[in-house]
Amino acid sequence: MTRLAAILMPVLAAALLLASSGWAQGPRVEPPPAGALVGPSIGGPVDSTVPPSVPVEAPTPDLVVDLSLARVSITSAFQGESILLFGMFDPPGEIVVVVAGPPARQTVLRKQRFLGLWLNTGRQSFDDVPAYYAIAASQPLQRLLARGAGGEILSLEDRLQSVRSIGEREHQDLIKFRLGLVEVKRREGLYPAAIGQVSIQAGRLFRVDLPFPSRLPEGIYEVRTYLLRDGKIVAAVSRPLPVAKEGFSAQLAGWAANEGPLYGLGAILLALVAGWLGGAIMRRL
Amino acid sequence: MEIYLPIAEQSMNVFVLLGLGAAAGLLAGMFGVGGGFLATPLLIFVGIPPAVAVASQANQVVANSVSSLQVHWRRGNVDLRMGLILLLGGLFGSTAGVWLFTYLKRIGQIDFVIAVAYVVMLSTIGALMLVESLRTYIRRRRNPQAPRGKLHTHYLVHRLPLKLRFYKSKLYISALLPVGIGFVIGVLSAILGVGGGFVLVPAMIYILGMPTAVVIGTSNFQILFVAANVTFLQAATNGTVDIVLALLLILGGVVGAPIGSRLAAKLPGVVLRGMMSILILAVATELLTELLRTPSSLYSLGTREVMP
Repeated sequence: MTRLAAILMPVLAAALLLASSGWAQGPRVEPPPAGALVGPSIGGPVDSTVPPSVPVEAPTPDLVVDLSLARVSITSAFQGESILLFGMFDPPGEIVVVVAGPPARQTVLRKQRFLGLWLNTGRQSFDDVPAYYAIAASQPLQRLLARGAGGEILSLEDRLQSVRSIGEREHQDLIKFRLGLVEVKRREGLYPAAIGQVSIQAGRLFRVDLPFPSRLPEGIYEVRTYLLRDGKIVAAVSRPLPVAKEGFSAQLAGWAANEGPLYGLGAILLALVAGWLGGAIMRRL
Repeated sequence: MEIYLPIAEQSMNVFVLLGLGAAAGLLAGMFGVGGGFLATPLLIFVGIPPAVAVASQANQVVANSVSSLQVHWRRGNVDLRMGLILLLGGLFGSTAGVWLFTYLKRIGQIDFVIAVAYVVMLSTIGALMLVESLRTYIRRRRNPQAPRGKLHTHYLVHRLPLKLRFYKSKLYISALLPVGIGFVIGVLSAILGVGGGFVLVPAMIYILGMPTAVVIGTSNFQILFVAANVTFLQAATNGTVDIVLALLLILGGVVGAPIGSRLAAKLPGVVLRGMMSILILAVATELLTELLRTPSSLYSLGTREVMP
């Protein structure tokens, strides 16, 4: 899938170039009219938002984004997925991509030694914890955001500053729990430690591979792409990315969740038949 | 080759799961135990959530027991009356066990309870069996002509009310005892995802005094129904039975079980019990080290609730 998209990308981008020059005849020669805030889109609606730091009357540069897959389908053969995000922007500028999984209330457990044994004694819940969080950028983030005007682009640490803790706990201890949360999520590949590399070609085409691990929570993920100039966001595009079980997996998970007793009977019947047949066959051999 | 497990919500190597199933099946055939006591900790070790491992393992035990039971039934090694009475306790026990499991899962202590329960039970039973089989072995070697001694001794259990005759087991004991044992096995089965054979078999030999020949078939009979009850209740209350996972374990087990029962037929009972006790002790030691060793990470994730 990814390879197909990689082949298609230059073709699409060339078509885009034609389309955008037709609209605005080169963005720097003649800025587009104020009404044309939304860039031309391919493969579905592109939602372009104007961040508050940008004056309304200034023209918004074009930023077009698409994904090689419209959704992540968790099928029986699912082993994680790598999705290619690609697009085009009006130079100059740098690109930052933030992928956030659906927020949820997450409980973190902590082990402590008790009579020589390690058991979970501490528990702390946080609200608004993203199931997944990854950032990709065309330049090291610190350099891009050096002037402090990154605005809504949050590093994982900053993003987790905003999670609300449930119940009372000492500040230092809360920080430890938050670090514990990051540690576990990182181990599961849900909070990748590395900033992904957005590569820019021909000064205006960009692409980045977004990796998703096999143990991926379901829900609607949000993929936000930002165009930065001098550390300021000048354009942003948001794409929802649904992650859901599909086919046989979805069917089984659905039955298990909604038809528990029936599913249980089915499981028993299956085991009886498989065990009986298997035993009978193996004894003949 | 990887396959995605829809309830465990992760992908896993098919051959690892088939291999685990085969190992469990081998034990089932050999010792009349479900093999769950080995497979469940291993499943958790490879990363399956404990709740899913326990529930799916119960489902695999159903298949394992039915294929072993076929053999033992044909050989007439099932004491049906004893089996039914054990089962009576077992059904109550497993229902209570699933309820307890759900509660422990909610308060976040299920992993710990599973580990501790395994260590305590496995080490006790393993040690008892090892001592007994060594003692028997040494005595027989010294004096092969020695009389086998009394069939069984009379103590408190023979004074309880509701005495019943178990012809196949050549016993005349109170029905309360097997009901009680069945209950305990049922609870274990639900919490640990085991058939409970590794407790039931020694209990039948040493507490009830049943002849070894009918023990394995009868325990298989009881385990079959208790495991089916656990599977049903886990699916109905917790939704944690992963059919794909269970089916892979079953397929492996189907291959392992007959090999096990053929091996068992060739080995004397003492050797069989000695081997089983060593295996049980090894698993217990491993689990205990796991509990005592400083964990690589102190933190783990509990429940995740999606906000509306």
